[in-house]
Amino acid sequence: MNWRRLNHSLHRDIGFLCIGLTLLYALSGIAVNHMHDWNANYSIEQFNLQIDPLPPGVVNSTQIQQILRQLGETRISKKHFQPDPENLWLYADKRMIRIHLPSGNVQAEKSQRRPFWYRLNFLHLNHAKQAWTWVADIYAGGLFLLALTGMLLLPKRADLKRRALMLSLSGIVIPVFFLLLYY
Amino acid sequence: MRKTVALTLTVLMLSLSVVSVMAKTFGDGITLEKMTSVSELLENGDAYVGQRVQVRGMIVDVCASRGCWIYVAGEKPFEKIRVKVKDGEIIFPLEARGIEAVVEGTLEKFDLSREEVIQRKRHHAEEQGKEFDPATVTSGKIFFQIRGLGALIEGI
Repeated sequence: MNWRRLNHSLHRDIGFLCIGLTLLYALSGIAVNHMHDWNANYSIEQFNLQIDPLPPGVVNSTQIQQILRQLGETRISKKHFQPDPENLWLYADKRMIRIHLPSGNVQAEKSQRRPFWYRLNFLHLNHAKQAWTWVADIYAGGLFLLALTGMLLLPKRADLKRRALMLSLSGIVIPVFFLLLYY
Repeated sequence: MRKTVALTLTVLMLSLSVVSVMAKTFGDGITLEKMTSVSELLENGDAYVGQRVQVRGMIVDVCASRGCWIYVAGEKPFEKIRVKVKDGEIIFPLEARGIEAVVEGTLEKFDLSREEVIQRKRHHAEEQGKEFDPATVTSGKIFFQIRGLGALIEGI
């Protein structure tokens, strides 16, 4: 087997091997980049409600039960926190309820994991650690080999050779340009 | 071809579903034996700046977009301390709100000007998808924060 054939086979097989992980990292990469515009990990629904106003201060358990009754909560939650005398935060079943006592304004928030995206980001951001770090390192090595073998896939036709060179150079120049621009 | 695509997708979904996302230990986990109260850190923080400390309390809020910070409630009314972690190093799940946790990290002190407070609060509001009025900030602020290194969250 000559080196061209070996290089081509390596490029093809590593390419196949990298398909799944490339899709994972690419999809999650877009999601993570745009986290400020769209929360890929959770879908969060917010509801505004109104209850009777309460005087500011430390809220007791009787008042909390009254609030929960007004909110139609059947499950009485003992988990609560007051960030200041005017606000009360309640926690119940994946929900957080923020109450402004003097106005009686209630903001309820229900969060739900997006199963697909959460898991994708979990792997992309290496939250798994342990053996997954090795998988990610091997994948990075695979991409490195893919680039190296890709550079040696020189086409025989002169016009294609020129195109290959231009595209390869663009891929190098683009990050360098942004580095010079922002760094 | 259709069968191959369906099989590949099934294998992908099954592989993803077996990944455990319910980790109880985050980052380095818990290494210290002695716990310090949130009240102590808020009142006498200068004595602990730069030291690794451990606090215990209910997680009262979590960064909804990146899971990069939490607030842990103190023992006294209206007390809470912010725990900030490096983005991506530890990701606190939103489900941790209202759950007891033990958290460790290095105590930091911030002495911010009014402009810096506005910038911080604006960023915080953006993360939470809320509106922010800079006029509500009238002065600078000195506060303590834990640079989170590890945590143990119960029942998650």
